[in-house]
Amino acid sequence: MDMANQARIKEIAEKYGSENVVVVLGGAEAESAGLTAETVIAGDPTYAGPLTNIALKLSVYHILELKELVDPQVYEDQISMMEMVLEVDEIVAEMSNIRDELMKD
Amino acid sequence: MAAVRAVHYINQFFGQIGGEEKADIKPFKQDGPVGPGTALQKALGSEIEIVGTIICGDTYFNENIDTASQEVMDLMAGYQPQMVIAGPAFNAGRYGMACGAVCAAAAERFSIPVITGMYEENPGADLYRKQVYVVKTGNSAAKMRDAISAMSKLALKLARGEELGTPAEEGYLDKGIRVNIVFEERGSARAVEMLLKKLKGEPYQSEYPMPSFSRVTPRPPIKDLKHAKIALVTSGGIVPKGNPDRIEASSASHFGRYDITGIEDLTEDIFQTAHGGYDPVYANQDADRVLPIDVLRQLEKEGVIGSLHNVYYATVGNGTSVANAQKYAHAIGLELAQENIDGIILTST
Repeated sequence: MDMANQARIKEIAEKYGSENVVVVLGGAEAESAGLTAETVIAGDPTYAGPLTNIALKLSVYHILELKELVDPQVYEDQISMMEMVLEVDEIVAEMSNIRDELMKD
Repeated sequence: MAAVRAVHYINQFFGQIGGEEKADIKPFKQDGPVGPGTALQKALGSEIEIVGTIICGDTYFNENIDTASQEVMDLMAGYQPQMVIAGPAFNAGRYGMACGAVCAAAAERFSIPVITGMYEENPGADLYRKQVYVVKTGNSAAKMRDAISAMSKLALKLARGEELGTPAEEGYLDKGIRVNIVFEERGSARAVEMLLKKLKGEPYQSEYPMPSFSRVTPRPPIKDLKHAKIALVTSGGIVPKGNPDRIEASSASHFGRYDITGIEDLTEDIFQTAHGGYDPVYANQDADRVLPIDVLRQLEKEGVIGSLHNVYYATVGNGTSVANAQKYAHAIGLELAQENIDGIILTST
């Protein structure tokens, strides 16, 4: 995740409290989605950004995981096209892995 | 036993100072570990202590290698280091060059173990692997965790003075050192065994790996030069004045194409070099010295060649990885193939 976004997320989490923030991702690849999730849970894995060594433990989901929560018409308009071309299972599996691994402790 | 005192070198990006816009900062020190150093410290445990971190901008270092090395060494000396760790630099070319140079200088000045981490194709790896332990890493910072684990393992071994295994076992790039090993079986038996495996199509490991050079098959000669359309391509960085495509002085990320219709001679008011790897004075004075448009125009007039293609291509070869250079060459080749070019003259520096 780039520096500016890390700084923004850090600021939002500090302002509202980590328990009141949910991060929704739209990344197209499982690996990058996983890295982003790791960043907002356990800190920047590249040790370069503002979230280095800062474990915000934010709730984080990929939009593809939240289909049931979204107005069907909105989902249809905004997401369904990408849903057809992306590796949905891979992305969902990666997101669950990262959460299982990093959120527990 | 007291912990081994290590100093860690990182660039402005990992030092959390900023990106390219901060790449010209001069080296400075900060006590204790910073950025990736904090992860390293965790992996190194209590045996090695990162007592200080030196942070320097990549551009500053690469444009002033000698003085920058000296400045970094002087800052390091204050920490009385017993080991220097640099990077990991992954596939960042200028960062890799800096890590290699810092480690090499530290080994010479302090006579201590030095270690860095890079992707195999980083130009710094090729240049410094013989002097420095370069641990193999992935090509981006997404592989930080693996890199930290591999580098700390090797650092601990070096700190303990343990005997190292082969480069493949320890995960560093081979330094070109040969060591005698006594085998149970004699050479002829091992050779036959290897041959049998090869004949059966089974995997085998050579005891004497050959360097792999990529070979380019020479093209057939140009039969009729008088009617041939010739194109110019250069890795010498010749660009229109002002470098409109902002081709980097080192580790170029792209190439440019420039129209030379009606241009007979590259003069200093309209052309320059973008290359950062040689003294640019003479190329800036007369860019034909690197990209000989003047001579080719003359040959065109004399009828030695049919014509000179009205577009030339340029990139900067300085520090550019082989993989990137191949990519640009392929793209340029495809474009030129569509223009029915008969021959290309590639000029370097």
